[in-house]
Amino acid sequence: MRWVDVKESIKDFWFEFRRQKGGLLGLFLLALLVFTAIAAPYITEPDIPKKWTTYWEGNPTNVPPVWYNYFTAKKLAAHEVFTYNDLKVTAEGQDLGGGIKYYAFEFDYNNRYDLPPKDLIIKNIGVQLADLNTPAQIVITVYRPDGKKIELLSADLVEGSIYQLAKMGAVRNNVFNWASQFEDPKNLQGRVETIKSTMDVMEVIFAKAEPGILINPQPLHGDYKFQVEIFTFNKGDKVDLKPVQIILTGRTYGLMGTDYKGRDLWAGLVWGTRVSLVVGVSVAVLSVLIGIAYGVTSAYLGGWKDEFMQRVNEFVASIPTLPILILLGAAFKGHVTLWTIVFLLVMFGWTGIAKVARSMALQIKEQTYVEAAKALGAGTGRIIFKHIMPQIMPYAFAVMALSVPGAVLTEASLSFLGLGDPTAVTWGQILYDAQTNSATINGYWWWVIPPGLAISLVALTFVLIGVALDRVLNPRLRRL
Amino acid sequence: MGYGRYLAIRLLNALLVLALVTLLVSVLFTKVAEEDLKSSIQEQINMKLRANPELMKQLSADPERFQQWYQNEYNRLIRAYGLDKPFWVRVLERTKDTLTLNFGNTKTPIFGETNVKKIIAAAIPRTVLLFTTAQIIVILIGLLLGVKAAQVAGSALDRAVSIIAMLTSSIPMWWFGMIAILIFSFKLGWFPSGGMTSTPPKEGFAYYTDILYHMVLPVGTIVFVLFGGWAWTTRNIMIGTMQEDFIMAARAKGVPERKVIYGHALRASAPPIITMTIFSLLGSLGGAIITEGVFNWPGMGRLYWTALQQNETRLLMGVTFVTVALYLISMILADLAYGYLDPRVKVGASQQT
Repeated sequence: MRWVDVKESIKDFWFEFRRQKGGLLGLFLLALLVFTAIAAPYITEPDIPKKWTTYWEGNPTNVPPVWYNYFTAKKLAAHEVFTYNDLKVTAEGQDLGGGIKYYAFEFDYNNRYDLPPKDLIIKNIGVQLADLNTPAQIVITVYRPDGKKIELLSADLVEGSIYQLAKMGAVRNNVFNWASQFEDPKNLQGRVETIKSTMDVMEVIFAKAEPGILINPQPLHGDYKFQVEIFTFNKGDKVDLKPVQIILTGRTYGLMGTDYKGRDLWAGLVWGTRVSLVVGVSVAVLSVLIGIAYGVTSAYLGGWKDEFMQRVNEFVASIPTLPILILLGAAFKGHVTLWTIVFLLVMFGWTGIAKVARSMALQIKEQTYVEAAKALGAGTGRIIFKHIMPQIMPYAFAVMALSVPGAVLTEASLSFLGLGDPTAVTWGQILYDAQTNSATINGYWWWVIPPGLAISLVALTFVLIGVALDRVLNPRLRRL
Repeated sequence: MGYGRYLAIRLLNALLVLALVTLLVSVLFTKVAEEDLKSSIQEQINMKLRANPELMKQLSADPERFQQWYQNEYNRLIRAYGLDKPFWVRVLERTKDTLTLNFGNTKTPIFGETNVKKIIAAAIPRTVLLFTTAQIIVILIGLLLGVKAAQVAGSALDRAVSIIAMLTSSIPMWWFGMIAILIFSFKLGWFPSGGMTSTPPKEGFAYYTDILYHMVLPVGTIVFVLFGGWAWTTRNIMIGTMQEDFIMAARAKGVPERKVIYGHALRASAPPIITMTIFSLLGSLGGAIITEGVFNWPGMGRLYWTALQQNETRLLMGVTFVTVALYLISMILADLAYGYLDPRVKVGASQQT
């Protein structure tokens, strides 16, 4: 084929394909998916696959996405992280005499939500103590928009201290004592201990100072100022505020929420595109190529060889794929890689195509030009690859596209059963986690719906392209 | 190739597959048993040592003698359990167990049983109940819709069927089951989220209505995902038949349109449609099994799920073997049915060669 011919035939093909609306939609979706797969490290972070197997410290677990607030009456706090640049340092190493040094910083938090953050975590204060017997002291105070202040915590500070305010008994005590002055004594009667142990500390901190603050806190919106003061008692003590991290654990998170390990599901969705596309496309391409080569060879050889090859084909075709895949997956549990899955799927996937390719090749074989080629002394290989294969290739493209969905769905099913590659980020595996953590009966829709939609989208993309290709490329052979 | 020979080959094929699966199951079986036995042997030696403090004192004084004693003891038990036989001999022994469905016991009771054979025997009817019900509904809806679509080819209904078929064939069935639970069980609270009966099970007639009530969601899921593809296949076959000459002849004779479609066209399309039924039944079995697991339906699917979750290898092998055997039996039945329904297979096939 000359280059001009190729250009011409592509032009012809495109002229036809352009009229297939479904095919164009499929192409558009495919472009979108490929873009997502390639740009995954830039859309999210490059080290997601490595991070995916671990717990994501500091992230809230099982929370819906931020945009969920548009649909709810009660607005849920988003996840926020403050670092050094967001802080206002008011004192750094101020000498108070007697060897005592004073450090302080503040940060503002605008509470626009009906339900405040779940927790406030302060960590990574870079303190170096000269003597462990005289720990530093930390005092955390909040100044509320109504002018009232609560001293939340006054505690020892040593190296590596992490303060999770909502989980600390001292904070609970302080907040309760402060709030009970506003509460109606009738509400508290005889229930002090119960209320104290069951109240949501964060909700009370961010509530209106009025009767009911403890039993039914109403949100107080506005700017809250948190002040953290640190006192050191030894000359040699050093405090570095640069690494400080303050996490307001959200009740919503990011674009797609989080799962039980606090993992950002958006990142999982984006990275899952890669696995799905790679597995789907490589299984389809490999099984179609193998199937066609097999079928054509079988048809061309004929006689007992053809018969034998057909028996082998029938044998493989009658093996029920999924049970065997499950058995093999369980046998290699934990050591399965993506390429193992591709290999297994190809092993079972080539049979149907081989059968059709054989019947097509049987027809082509009888054509006079093949006879002519034979008479001219062309070898088996030349006839198969130069004369028979090019006739079958258009059909092959359509079948390739149409066999991607099956591969994608089977890979997802295996991952869903917990038999996938444990190191890969896949949609099936996200759904497996959702299933084992009862996400459906707890109503964690953000964890269940998007991965399945993504799987369906990939499958649909290739169905659309495949059907359109089939219509354009095989008007003559469609009925075979 | 005559019909008899065709069938013989299919039968041989099924037996070959079964042999392969049996071998695979037996090899895995032997491996698991070997690991189990080895750890139990070590356990036994430790027990013996602990029960006999005198011996322990003697042996701990001399590490070399301890090593020797341990090795002797170990070899003796390995021989006693028959682990010294070559691998393939043990595999052959296991093959006998597999073929007689003797899969041993699970580690923890499932459905109140530990015998794998009994567990599977309890699960099969439940799967059949769920799956058959769903499939009958799918076939009914699919046939009616497909015939209607073929009748008005190119209409909005016809296009809708094609689109639905494309969409639903892209959906993982088990995922749709999760969505159904999310909507109808969690959000609306209309149906239970899983299981086959309420706990504790109801008595008398209420027991059966309770089962029906629990079946709604899983059956609905299977039907929703499969009916589109069904309708589409029926439509394609019907459109092919409607273009045949005998339909034109029937119409020309003045046969009413209803009779042309249901009496002539549908009857002629029956063989491919029925074989399609059986094969699609087999094809959707895998997806349906996982769906069953999602709905906690106590059938074969749940056994797969439990076996994988709790590392019950024996159960997994039993379930796989039984599933494959059932699959092969249905395939033979499909072949038989095809030859029976479409005499052209026999005649045409023998003319070809």
